[in-house]
Amino acid sequence: MIGRLVFLWTVVGIPLLWGVMKTLQNALKLFQ
Amino acid sequence: MTASFLDREITVAPVGFNRFLVPPAALAVHLSIGQAYAFSTFNLPLTKLIGITHSAPGDWDLKQVGWIFSIAIVFLGSSAAVFGRWVERAGPRKSMFTAALCFGGGFLVSAFGIHLHQLWLIYLGYGVLGGCGLGIGYISPVSTLIKWFPDRPGMATGMAIMGFGGGALIAAPLSVMLMDHFKTATSNGVLETFVTMGVIYFMYMMIGVYSVRVPAHDWKPAGWVAPLKPKQLVTTANVAVDMAWRTPQFWLLWGVLCMNVSAGIGVIGQASPMIQEIFAGRVSPAVAASFVGLISLFNMVGRIFWASTSDYIGRRNTYMIFFLLGIVLYSSVPTLGHLGSIPLFVAAFCIILSMYGGGFATIPAYLRDMFGTYQVGAIHGRLLTAWSVAGVLGPVLVNYIRQYQIDNGVPKAQAYSITMYIMCGLLLIGFLCNFAMRPVNEKYHYRGSTS
Repeated sequence: MIGRLVFLWTVVGIPLLWGVMKTLQNALKLFQ
Repeated sequence: MTASFLDREITVAPVGFNRFLVPPAALAVHLSIGQAYAFSTFNLPLTKLIGITHSAPGDWDLKQVGWIFSIAIVFLGSSAAVFGRWVERAGPRKSMFTAALCFGGGFLVSAFGIHLHQLWLIYLGYGVLGGCGLGIGYISPVSTLIKWFPDRPGMATGMAIMGFGGGALIAAPLSVMLMDHFKTATSNGVLETFVTMGVIYFMYMMIGVYSVRVPAHDWKPAGWVAPLKPKQLVTTANVAVDMAWRTPQFWLLWGVLCMNVSAGIGVIGQASPMIQEIFAGRVSPAVAASFVGLISLFNMVGRIFWASTSDYIGRRNTYMIFFLLGIVLYSSVPTLGHLGSIPLFVAAFCIILSMYGGGFATIPAYLRDMFGTYQVGAIHGRLLTAWSVAGVLGPVLVNYIRQYQIDNGVPKAQAYSITMYIMCGLLLIGFLCNFAMRPVNEKYHYRGSTS
């Protein structure tokens, strides 16, 4: 059950983190 | 065999099932359908399908292409309203599967439309079919999550609906990457991107289909006891969907959602030109795009933050904050513009957009508080018609008033002042609707079995 929990949260977490990182990278331009 | 796998009975969780396996299932669906917010990345490329690098004779124009998203949003609201009761009856797995077929299939039909250069096929594919996928997918996990988390319904639905905001953050860079990858001398890569995204999103949504479970009828979280004396404005009764929309509470909540969304959505659509015009010469289009990205991020974060907060301070108080703080922030925007303070301006809009997202994410728990868990997903579906109305009302107000002022000689930098005060007016109406909220009269309560 724990393995499945880690797997599922990773599957949804990684794309979300990737999207957030990309957005933050672009957002930095606002403060440069 | 397939039919039985999708049936609600098969999805009842065994004893000892970890309820934290359900939010990622909901997120898999919402992260996918949240792509809709990033559809504008396809707008320009869709106007260059023949000319590839420029619009050639025979290419569609932006106005024609803009209808694709509008049709999808209209079908989001209407399909959520029409299919809400079916979603409750069929269960989350069958409805998520249907949403995956519609959303993924919508991309494939649209790709065929690009291949034949027939715009009506894209309207039908992404607009109608994809829009139904959006509506059914949006409400599919809501009542399931509320039943799994009776102790934290705001946090649970906030997590899922956060995915709808986060989906755009993933889809925008993903679309650009895929179009760059598939670009050739004879194609700008949109067709191939549509096919790829259709397949990827279908498969990703299937993760949700496979992993979603509903709790057994008598299930409760370990150690959790329903409060003996319910909080004010939290019912222990149930109201059926057909009865719910005859209550004044449904229409007050409809007003709350519609006003909160109208104010936010009007700004989202105009965010890029607005910051460039208010701070003329200091903000380039690239920086304005960063501003749009940043407020999208706050739109996403606000969904989980405010919905979780509402579990502690109550739904009514949460919306009171949205409306009162919103009025203060919107009315300060013209002053911040005159002062030329970009950081304060950006901060104000980040908070405003967090409350816009928070409004979406907190409404399912508010509905549960007022109408119980019995058919909360279906009631939520009908309430989403407020989104469809707000999707027209907000942008129309902002765009038309701005244009009217510019036509009457108001400088572009000041053309948003009146708009902001009108947004305050919308929030005031929302505040009054929320202020008038009272428990549902017992005559509307459902007396039958809810199992």
